[in-house]
Amino acid sequence: MLGRGLKRKLSDYEENVAGLSSAFDSSRNLPYPLKRQLVLNMCLTKLQTYKMLVEPNLHRSVLIANTVRQIQEEMRQESSQPINVCTGITPSSHSYTGMESSGISLQLPSGISQQESNCCDLRSFPENTGLKLEDDRQDLKGAECVFGSFEISNSTSYLKDLAIDDIFEDIDTSMYDSDFCCPPLMPPRPPPICRTDLSELDHIMEILVGS
Amino acid sequence: MTGQKTLQNILADIISTVEFNHTGELLATGDKGGRVVIFQREQESKQQPQRRGEYNVYSTFQSHEPEFDYLKSLEIEEKINKIRWLPQHNAACFLLSTNDKTVKLWKVSERDKRPEGYNLKDEDGRLRDPSMITTLRVPVLRPMDLMVEATPRRVFANAHTYHINSISVNSDYETYMSADDLRINLWNFEITNQSFNIVDIKPANMEELTEVITAAEFHPHHCNTFVYSSSKGTIRLCDMRASALCDRHAKFFEEPEDPSNRSFFSEIISSISDVKFSHSGRYVMTRDYLTVKVWDLNMENRPMETYQVHDYLRSKLCSLYENDCIFDKFECVWNGSDSVIMTGSYNNFFRMFDRNTKRDVTLEASRENSKPRAILKPRKVCVGGKRRKDEISVDSLDFSKKILHTAWHPSENIIAVAATNNLYIFQDKVN
Repeated sequence: MLGRGLKRKLSDYEENVAGLSSAFDSSRNLPYPLKRQLVLNMCLTKLQTYKMLVEPNLHRSVLIANTVRQIQEEMRQESSQPINVCTGITPSSHSYTGMESSGISLQLPSGISQQESNCCDLRSFPENTGLKLEDDRQDLKGAECVFGSFEISNSTSYLKDLAIDDIFEDIDTSMYDSDFCCPPLMPPRPPPICRTDLSELDHIMEILVGS
Repeated sequence: MTGQKTLQNILADIISTVEFNHTGELLATGDKGGRVVIFQREQESKQQPQRRGEYNVYSTFQSHEPEFDYLKSLEIEEKINKIRWLPQHNAACFLLSTNDKTVKLWKVSERDKRPEGYNLKDEDGRLRDPSMITTLRVPVLRPMDLMVEATPRRVFANAHTYHINSISVNSDYETYMSADDLRINLWNFEITNQSFNIVDIKPANMEELTEVITAAEFHPHHCNTFVYSSSKGTIRLCDMRASALCDRHAKFFEEPEDPSNRSFFSEIISSISDVKFSHSGRYVMTRDYLTVKVWDLNMENRPMETYQVHDYLRSKLCSLYENDCIFDKFECVWNGSDSVIMTGSYNNFFRMFDRNTKRDVTLEASRENSKPRAILKPRKVCVGGKRRKDEISVDSLDFSKKILHTAWHPSENIIAVAATNNLYIFQDKVN
């Protein structure tokens, strides 16, 4: 509970989080982006837990989802500014490694020069926040399906055309599976899905050119 | 408020609602196990003046049972979310009790006589042999020990997809409303197989849902007016005369956000957990996580008064979010003259605010610190720096001991405070 010392076992995830939230509350020195990421992680973990319940609490789910959206909107606005400022980086889609979701992708293209990549403050975030953003967005989509499941389970017509399969298809929740015990210390593997024309085009080009 | 205290203990389930009836003679509690326990105030007696008006158990009954919804594979909790009394017109009392899905109307009546001397059956109730009956007699009522019976008179079911958070009896005493997360329904007491939907905030696409209904109440005098509060900290006043579906509010109450207090948890702590009209009907009180606010119905852009319940928790919000305490739903109550408001906090503390003198007090409902008929000692939470004797520091607060439900007698200074599974009743000192 509150006020517990920070002595904790590394294997005990819950105690870890309690220690982190105590640190959040008591420390003024935690950088804002780290605090924000901590809150975001907590929100997504909660939503993930709720998804596993037969009947999640709608009130709480709405409040948490709103908080996630608000944080992600803030992150999106912040990330949009440095990219516009950087020279040589055009925010056109072909520069990026084609993530499924639209909007700002912090996964800068591999060919970009070091100079240009440094102008993005977000790259200096710990725990490669940039990659997390993509997962977070997809997680929110999946998490918002908490409401969707309310709709479906409460619908009287089971023959209604439900796009459930579509909704759950592209979610990568590997980061937030409940059996992971500690925050990731290494960069997680990138989402395996890159289904744009661009990557296929690259692939075809490789075959044609033989490189 | 100093108080002469009477201690009532029920070592049972967690109490989930507390409500005085309109005269204050009866006090009903509902618990997590679906039980209702009604207390009755003792008549004052000259022989024992010190036992003035103590509350004793009057009736106990099982209101709701756990149910299983086979269609959705869901268990429906039997926990009583709210109890509301109807005004008393005859010897019997009526109350509404509700769990997440079903509202029930209960009749509580006394029986102190019973008929004796039937023709066709003997005293044990067995039928007599007709050939043995040779005389005709009329049964006579004879006194018996007082028995209090509770019988379910109406069951209002199958009208709520989401969880019921509020019920409110209309001032016409013919209708009442029940509110869940997304809808509010209007019922007539006599009709159980239909209800009118008067508010519906469910979006066509559930993924666009950003706001839920958290509480609702009818105006105490105007039977066409009601309010409902939301998870975004807003209150809407609706007039049922305007249209059948009150989706468009007549008044919208919202306080602009204070940018200096902005945090990640701002929206969560702005969610209103309770809304109560004053007895006069001129004001509405709302409770959110850290404050109680009094609104003037004629002023929509900000509350008239704001009271800090436990502002020292503002720097602990992340921890309180992590352990889900930030979602605790505290209720708030007016006293009979609308001059004092009361609400609960953690560590079995509850707070009272005098609206006229602007003084406030923190009291504790606990067995260790109080003995029957002792005066309640004001408590203080130490925020930082040196902790004085008798003060308690924020980090020592017990967040599992929360006072969510309190009630105030309609005309006297008697309060009922539910502390987990204990009920405390405090009365003003008799001079």
